[in-house]
Amino acid sequence: MIEHLLFATFVGLLFHGIHRKVIARIQGRPGPPIWQEILHTLKFSFKETWIPKTASQTLFVAIVFVAIAIWSAALFVLLSGRSLLILFGVYLLHKIVEHGMGLSSGSPYGKFGAIRSVISAASELPLLATVAAIYFFTHSLSIADIAAYQQVHGPLLVIAFPAAAAMYLVVLSKMHYGPFSIIEAKEIVSGNMTEHFGVWRAGLEVAYALKTYVLLYAFVLLFIGQLPSVLTLLLMLLILISLSFVCAVTPMLSPYDTVTIQSLMTGALVVYIIILGVVMG
Amino acid sequence: MFNLPTTNIGGPELFVLEFGDIVIYFSPYTAALFLFALIFTALAIVSRPEQQVDITFGGDAYYAKEVDLNSLQFQRFMAIACGLATLGAMVTGDVFNFTLFASMVGITNIGIVAAYRNRHVLNAAFQYGIVAMLASVPLFGGAAIILANTGTLSMWELFTDALVVPIIAKAFLVIGIMGEGMAPFYVAKAEITRAQGAPFILMIHVSSLLLFLRVIEIVLSM
Repeated sequence: MIEHLLFATFVGLLFHGIHRKVIARIQGRPGPPIWQEILHTLKFSFKETWIPKTASQTLFVAIVFVAIAIWSAALFVLLSGRSLLILFGVYLLHKIVEHGMGLSSGSPYGKFGAIRSVISAASELPLLATVAAIYFFTHSLSIADIAAYQQVHGPLLVIAFPAAAAMYLVVLSKMHYGPFSIIEAKEIVSGNMTEHFGVWRAGLEVAYALKTYVLLYAFVLLFIGQLPSVLTLLLMLLILISLSFVCAVTPMLSPYDTVTIQSLMTGALVVYIIILGVVMG
Repeated sequence: MFNLPTTNIGGPELFVLEFGDIVIYFSPYTAALFLFALIFTALAIVSRPEQQVDITFGGDAYYAKEVDLNSLQFQRFMAIACGLATLGAMVTGDVFNFTLFASMVGITNIGIVAAYRNRHVLNAAFQYGIVAMLASVPLFGGAAIILANTGTLSMWELFTDALVVPIIAKAFLVIGIMGEGMAPFYVAKAEITRAQGAPFILMIHVSSLLLFLRVIEIVLSM
């Protein structure tokens, strides 16, 4: 497990670097080297670390450990084939991390980021609809059962394409520099991460790397199936590049537009589930 | 012996505790939610609040707000009460207890910010109070329909194939919990997060999300 955790962190950071590189090339810039995020994390690990005088000190520090813990747990859940509901829970709990990170510092920019994270809570609704759609077909929320179902019936990407599209939107909602990244928009400096520097920022980079790895891995596992490791990684990379394309060509939405789009997607998926229910009895 | 009938949803039960006919249980799923609620309740107990920094509009000046100790005590008390209600809701094996804990969460959420003197925050708390109060109608209505149709509110029996829970009752439970603070009803309380006291304000968010996660497990299992 530990070696997989380290591997996931490394790959997640590398994916963040590739994400930045692809966005830059599409926008006609050279962009940073793809290992830039790994260097960033190492750099932050050795920089001077402090806690702002105005911060809620315990919460300011604890929230970093909570972020790492929940995404490590999510990776464990994926690898052990346990309940998809726990993964859904972790995704929702990440919202609390974003919120707590911004509020705990006392900074007005952090607070704005935290309030935006509350507003963007609608991003969880497409995931809930996705979970419901998967359950409709597989009658189980065990990840191992879902993988077994796909071995018999084929990938859910084909069988339940709208659910896969909703999950894609969920992953997109959590990508850096994307249309839904309102909590870290530059008009509020770095949003909820503004005051977390040094080791705390390195910890957050690790947690976010794990998050990216887990979400991409979950997408492959839930909608394509259990594949050999190399092929899984390759598919994760392809999905990441497609997400980078979307991020590169789409401007950041206003907070209320993000809610509208995510709610519309959820509505469409609910209609899809109702139609399925009527057609399939 | 107790055997959780729906191991394919939240996993098998890890630990069961009997209180007469009310049997609480820990599955990997509910245990994870319980642990998370416990961590944030502990943080509400041990953390001091932040000092919010405000920027003066139109200039470079900024100032840090002072913390009101009287308000702080009440906020902490309410946050801990909210944490305890959330802990109960995460592991209870009875639908009625779950709805009671959910209502208590709604009341304590208002209590956390009630002592904070800010017009926007108090307005938001008032609006949220109205939404939460209205949401308690479908919440308890859902439980009542389940009882009328099946004759029990014990999850151990409701999770079996022998009893069929009407879909309207499930929908009422979910709408009731969403009214306690999930999207899209959370807009009523977005302004609450302006209030000072991050460890306590965070409990509002923690409790709403955890309740929602639990009700999803309950509804899918029934």
